[in-house]
Amino acid sequence: MKLTDKIREARDFIRKITDFQPDIALILGSGLGTLAEDIEDPVIIEYAGIPHFPVSTVEGHAGRLVLGTLEGKKVAAMQGRFHFYEGYTMQQVTFPVYVLHALGCRSLVVTNACGGLNPRFKAGDLMLITDHINILPNPLIGPNYEELGPRFPDMSQAYDAEYRQLALQVGEELGLKLQQGVYIAISGPTYSTPAEVRRLIAYGSDTVGMSTIPEVIVANYLGMRVLGISCITDMSLPDELEPLTHEQVVKIANQTRPKFIALVRGWLKRVSTDAAL
Amino acid sequence: MESTYKLLDEAVESLRQRGFGKPRIALILGSGLGGLAGSFQEAVAVDYRDIPGFPPATIPGHAGRLVWGKLQGVDAVAMQGRFHYYEGHSQRQIAFALWTMRSLGAEILIVTNAAGGINPDFRVGDLMLIADHINMTGDNPLIGPNPDRFGPRFPDMSRAYTPELRELALEAATGLKLNLQQGVYLSVTGPCFETPAEIQSFRRLGADAVGMSTVPEVITAVHAGMKVLGISCITNMAAGLGAEKLDHQEVIDVTKKVQSNFQALVTEIIALIGRRIPQ
Repeated sequence: MKLTDKIREARDFIRKITDFQPDIALILGSGLGTLAEDIEDPVIIEYAGIPHFPVSTVEGHAGRLVLGTLEGKKVAAMQGRFHFYEGYTMQQVTFPVYVLHALGCRSLVVTNACGGLNPRFKAGDLMLITDHINILPNPLIGPNYEELGPRFPDMSQAYDAEYRQLALQVGEELGLKLQQGVYIAISGPTYSTPAEVRRLIAYGSDTVGMSTIPEVIVANYLGMRVLGISCITDMSLPDELEPLTHEQVVKIANQTRPKFIALVRGWLKRVSTDAAL
Repeated sequence: MESTYKLLDEAVESLRQRGFGKPRIALILGSGLGGLAGSFQEAVAVDYRDIPGFPPATIPGHAGRLVWGKLQGVDAVAMQGRFHYYEGHSQRQIAFALWTMRSLGAEILIVTNAAGGINPDFRVGDLMLIADHINMTGDNPLIGPNPDRFGPRFPDMSRAYTPELRELALEAATGLKLNLQQGVYLSVTGPCFETPAEIQSFRRLGADAVGMSTVPEVITAVHAGMKVLGISCITNMAAGLGAEKLDHQEVIDVTKKVQSNFQALVTEIIALIGRRIPQ
């Protein structure tokens, strides 16, 4: 089946449940899923019921779409996302982005938990993603659908500068010091070896994670504006690399959650969703 | 490999029946250079879709046919339009076209492409002789059973771009008073253009130019014992180094502008090969 037909079927399924038209898509990573619980008048749709949606398998990722209002903005939040390391193809990982776009979303806020490579960072920091380095399979490989986007999409400004500026202002008002930097994604599920960490640093990345880039590539392809925020849950410094567990990542993500949620909510409150933007 | 060999034999047989002979040179003509096939004498052209085992080309500006003929008196076969990984073709499918030209008898591969400039000394419109490459596609056309008919399981890549041919290319450029850059070509899968952070990392890795083709074909050709010459046309400066946004139309426009120089250079190189390199 053609991708465009799959998107239509998934969109039509959601439209039959609700005629709510979201403007902003939220992809909520580790630890931030609870933000979806703050959405007012929520319409909750389990991924399992949506045609062509894969099912989330990772602990701490709920696996449902929540549509409703947050800070006065019409949002569609993915509570739980799909990861390459779960065995999904990049096309499966990014399918929800196409559906969120088809529902009307023209902005994407994507969050994740990641490791810090930049020695100026520390665990618990929030970082605005300025750019990314993709070393994984590209989700756009295959036939192109001109009605969705161009064959060779530009990625020179994958993370919207105005959105980032607004996030910085909100951070300042909240008294949060926000880092800014480059994100690189490895496939996982293994964490990096010290030698691998050195390589990622040599590439020029400030953080390393296992998500986000495929969704951001597709969002740009579709012409969406993107804000990316990482929660640095651990430091990946090659000479002092300590054994790392998912529990530690979840622990720091949970500790950081209040300020992370305040930042996203503050940004949502301030952002304009006028068609002109 | 037996089914691949069978399909290859069918492809070669069908091309021979249409008048293809034994070429000395195989040409892969990238974005904008396809017109070179128009100057072939005694030309025969076959659409890819009519060649057993060939997938059809899918992007604008790539014609999608195999052309046989003489250029500067040298028997040559040219791919007018090529197969790209980002189209969804496997690198094995990309290799198939190369194996077909090798099976026809070609011993030299001249491959051209459009690339983004990473080396800050480069300018849009420059031609770059490929000195070496970095395969960043995360894949390799030789993964799978080894096609023993063509080459060894572990092919050497220490001189993928034949020094002798590069010398000839430099000589041809001097004769035409063309400035020819030299550098390392890094291949990504595409289809999206690179981010500025990716370009910075490629620069650190030692790349001078970046593109979405060529490396799978060159690996296949080197494995099959062919001599290789690669030339890139720098159609844009890569992300973060030049214009604000990148688009494919820009690539096509610049290629058109430098087309005549590029064609003259390749034509002159072929003439030199005809005169200097014994059969």
